[in-house]
Amino acid sequence: MISSDIIRGHLDAIILRLIYEKDRYGYEIAKEVEARTGGDFKIKEATLYAVFQRLEKKDLIESYQGSISHGGQRRYYTITSLGRAYLSEELREWRKTKEIIDTLLEGLQ
Amino acid sequence: MSRIEEHVHRIFRQIPDSERKTQLTKEIIQDLEEKVADLMSAGKTEEDAVNKAIIDFGDIDDLKAELMPAVKRHREHGLSLAYSIAGSILIILLVVFANFYYTPGVIWCVYPIFAVLWWPLSMLYLYLKRR
Repeated sequence: MISSDIIRGHLDAIILRLIYEKDRYGYEIAKEVEARTGGDFKIKEATLYAVFQRLEKKDLIESYQGSISHGGQRRYYTITSLGRAYLSEELREWRKTKEIIDTLLEGLQ
Repeated sequence: MSRIEEHVHRIFRQIPDSERKTQLTKEIIQDLEEKVADLMSAGKTEEDAVNKAIIDFGDIDDLKAELMPAVKRHREHGLSLAYSIAGSILIILLVVFANFYYTPGVIWCVYPIFAVLWWPLSMLYLYLKRR
């Protein structure tokens, strides 16, 4: 399992992206991250909730109590318009960063 | 109380009570219980599943830092500063009194006063740095 600093530095954006697609609850996001990376990257619950707190404090996401499903009411997270703006900025920055690192590191045999 | 609940409550013990904490505790317990159910349907025994969920939970320090209000820490430093000022004034008064009562001819009280002043000074530094 990879636990790189680079991934950690973009966790906010990764989680925002997942919430951007649709409103999700905590464990669903953890499962989704693991499934999409085929188990290469797992997010710890403690980290996940720290990110939620941070994003909520910055008004990038909001949470609400979902309707009663099996196993009780869940708390869902939804992205705000500020969150969308932040996400697209992060994405732009990431593309640029990727380009720079590719330029500097790739091509070596 | 299930082992999951116990564990989560233990993790959050040092965090001051708030509405947010209550809600977050509930949310995390719900998540972990769902994880345990998933692990069990994947063939683990209940004990194994609970252990794995607890171990996988990860390092709580980040989360604690997010939940601890910075304002409160600042207020604590303010309290330390007030305490140090009050304490050093009392000590200085005592030293001045002893000096002039017993040995009015020799002014020695400035030396302990200088030493004592480091205390509120260091607290003032801490207070200003935090802000």
